[in-house]
Amino acid sequence: MRRFLDRTYDAALWLAALTLALIAVLVLVQILGRLADRAARALALPPPGVTVPSLAEFGAFLFAGAVFLGLAGTLQAGGHVRVKLLTGALPETPARWLAALVCLGGAALGAFATWSSALQALDSLRFGSVSYGTIPIPLVIPQAVMTLGLALLCVALLDAMATLLRGGRPAYATSEIETGGERE
Amino acid sequence: AEWDMPTPYGDSVFHTQNIMQFAEDVSAATEGDIEITVHSAGSLFAHPEIKDSVRRGLAPIGETLMSRLANEDPIFAIDSIPFLASSYEEARGLWDASRPIVEEKLAAQGLTLLFAVPWPGQSLYTQEPVESSADLEGASFRAYNAATERLAQLMGAVPTQIETGDIPTAFATGRVDAMITSPSTGVSSQAWDFTSYYTDTQAWLPKNMVIVNTGMFDALPEDQRTALLEAAEAAETRGWEMSEAETESQIATLEENGMTVAQPSETLSQEMSEIGETMTQEWLEEAGDAGQGVIDAYRSAE
Amino acid sequence: MEIATLAPLLVFVLFGALALGLWVGFALIAVGLVAMLAAAPAPPELVFATKVWGGLTVWDLTALPMFIWMGEILVRSRLSSDMFSGLAPFTARLPGRLLHVNVLGCALFAAVSGSSAATTATIGRMSLPELKARGYDDRMAIGTLAGSGTFGFLIPPSIILIVYGAATEQSIARLFLAGVVPGIMLAALFGGYIMLWSLMNRDRMPAAEPPVDRRETMAAAARLLPVIGLIVAVIGSIYLGIASPTEAAVIGVAGALVLAAATGALSLPGFFEALRSATITTCMIAFILAGASFLTVAMGYTGIPRDLARLIGEMGLSPYALLAMLTVFFIVMGMFLDGISIVVLTVSIILPMVTAAGIDPIWFGIFLVLVVEMSQITPPVGFNLFVIQTITGRDIFAVARYALPFFLLLVLAVAILSVFPQIALWLPGTMLSR
Ligand code: NA
Ligand code: NA
Repeated sequence: MRRFLDRTYDAALWLAALTLALIAVLVLVQILGRLADRAARALALPPPGVTVPSLAEFGAFLFAGAVFLGLAGTLQAGGHVRVKLLTGALPETPARWLAALVCLGGAALGAFATWSSALQALDSLRFGSVSYGTIPIPLVIPQAVMTLGLALLCVALLDAMATLLRGGRPAYATSEIETGGERE
Repeated sequence: AEWDMPTPYGDSVFHTQNIMQFAEDVSAATEGDIEITVHSAGSLFAHPEIKDSVRRGLAPIGETLMSRLANEDPIFAIDSIPFLASSYEEARGLWDASRPIVEEKLAAQGLTLLFAVPWPGQSLYTQEPVESSADLEGASFRAYNAATERLAQLMGAVPTQIETGDIPTAFATGRVDAMITSPSTGVSSQAWDFTSYYTDTQAWLPKNMVIVNTGMFDALPEDQRTALLEAAEAAETRGWEMSEAETESQIATLEENGMTVAQPSETLSQEMSEIGETMTQEWLEEAGDAGQGVIDAYRSAE
Repeated sequence: MEIATLAPLLVFVLFGALALGLWVGFALIAVGLVAMLAAAPAPPELVFATKVWGGLTVWDLTALPMFIWMGEILVRSRLSSDMFSGLAPFTARLPGRLLHVNVLGCALFAAVSGSSAATTATIGRMSLPELKARGYDDRMAIGTLAGSGTFGFLIPPSIILIVYGAATEQSIARLFLAGVVPGIMLAALFGGYIMLWSLMNRDRMPAAEPPVDRRETMAAAARLLPVIGLIVAVIGSIYLGIASPTEAAVIGVAGALVLAAATGALSLPGFFEALRSATITTCMIAFILAGASFLTVAMGYTGIPRDLARLIGEMGLSPYALLAMLTVFFIVMGMFLDGISIVVLTVSIILPMVTAAGIDPIWFGIFLVLVVEMSQITPPVGFNLFVIQTITGRDIFAVARYALPFFLLLVLAVAILSVFPQIALWLPGTMLSR
């Protein structure tokens, strides 16, 4: 179970990373297409007009998808920012209980977010909502990814809470200690 | 009731001013029973979110550009077919012919149409004069949806995606050579800072529509519903007048700020009407019998 | 609920959630939820997804991961440490020496990036470890970064000026030009402060680097070339019309990869590590942005920002008093909301009173940018603070304390700009005459 969960968070984070890399590739294609048009005009040839259709819209969906997919992995890596000023001063036992409580609170808010996102995805499905640009993209696809990412964040928070209650140290706390000083 | 109303455009745009007046009229007619707070310039919900927000009941009422919904149903694109209706009179005729089916399509989403007001006609902004479409051959032409992309292609230009905020930079650095938009938007974005020629094609008059959530509308007492509908009717009449007055005054402003304002040449007009015919045919292939019905009604009324 | 009870309640919820150690993004969602339940007529669960979806599917945001990725590649390929050893001989005689790199680096980077978070993350990732390794004072290194990171908004291109221009129908071209001279002025103020500080705190400066001869200076200059080439390529791609400001970020990534490959300094695992690290930072910022957009719409429903702005309008103040009052208002709001949200929520109330007082709307756009810059470095909600906490592990309140002198310099800049409005208006007036 432990290994399965860790692999899932990590896989989602890598998927997020590759999605961001895909945006970079698409933008490069767009820029090269523009350069080709310029070159053609300079040589008085008809411009080939290679563009990535709906790049702005498509890129924005990829960005949002990547962000939500990466939320759980970012938590595990200690990436999400929080204030440790007060909790850091507590003795170990109350600190552990408080941390578990905060994880539960985060999971509850995460559940709200997941539920909300699922409602939106279902609404888009029911009304067949599509994007506005040159290529109509069914909104349910990226919105389902958003829901999945939020759900995975919830799981990671409940996972961390369970670890704390069993007396262990959750991944985010370990990572925060590792990166507590300067990174690298 | 206190109603939040998201709208996409800023306070100085005549659409927003018309809506402010509409909100006041509603408040007066219902003696304060309906108070509409206008959240302009996308301050509550941004333009892409407004239609769904109203449908989901997050805001009872809102404003959106009708052709933004073109990908949902081709009927919503009818006021954005270039050169199909390119004057206020024609736009009025087209709106009379298409309104019933637009209302029907909106009703299917639980939305009630209150009123629609056109933007001034869409015209060409370039850095060089345009005598015929040959002058646009191979030029980068700003396209922001399927219709403008097709228009650019038919004019022999290369369709280019430029986000609204990026327009001045894109012109200044040569990523775009031409765009088509209304004189209102030309003035509000101060197009003279980055273009020199305005060719008054008035290719189409796209409309903003004000929609209300049907469930919330039906929940109102009858006298309040009547008051809303009456204020809406007045707003539509007023809005069309404002729009028409705006066309002349804004073209004058473009000229005052040093832009060369030109009527389209005979060649260009001829080419444009051919493009209009092509694009109407292509639209009909998508819109089917429903679309044919609207076009027939529009043409028989002419 | 009345504003007089609601506003303190929301502040209490925010501070409480943060003090307990809840993640910032969740804390903002919690405050938004309380505000929605207390004062909004709409169902919060539908508002959340609608707004967060709308707030994150924004094309311009894609530049953020690209710039951060570029920075991660440069750090891992040692190109950035080369740059620092290259710069060292040239700053040897300048009081404050390499402390100026944050100011200079951020000012240069701001010319490509429209966002403060991207500027802070990219420059800070490279500069902070280098400054620490060379023995520079931590607090000063962090403070200069926090302050200079805000240049991203003032020096064009600027997201906040695009938002303001779109909402108020002001020319974005003019607003961009208006930001140039104030941007240079602010950089000069920061640089002046660094010199003053280093002269007064000689004991906290590292020992002077050994003097170098001409040959070594030439060698140092050569080490600067790759990164200078990269900066020129990114800025050049915008001004030659090859890329939009958003797309230019990808030129930065591609250029950094080419340089790293050419010098053989980046391994394949290093490449993936850089990508992974950039993804984590992006997700961190975007999650807070998501919380902020939900809180923003909740505040829009409650009407708190509008009502406060309206209250100021009803005071009937003189122009200077009005500006002073607005500065205080924006500083207070800027503690709790992100700057762009405040502009969006209040501009339609504030602009009419500002123009009625005879204040130029282009000038006011620059004023707004300066106060929004302040909001980036005031706790508890300040994006530069979050980014720097991620880089250094220092708590946001500690970072805010180091940034305080630069916050005060921003206030000074607002005062100077108010007395001499031509600092902003001269360039657009000269270059774009009607
Ligand atoms: Na900038
Ligand atoms: Na702040």
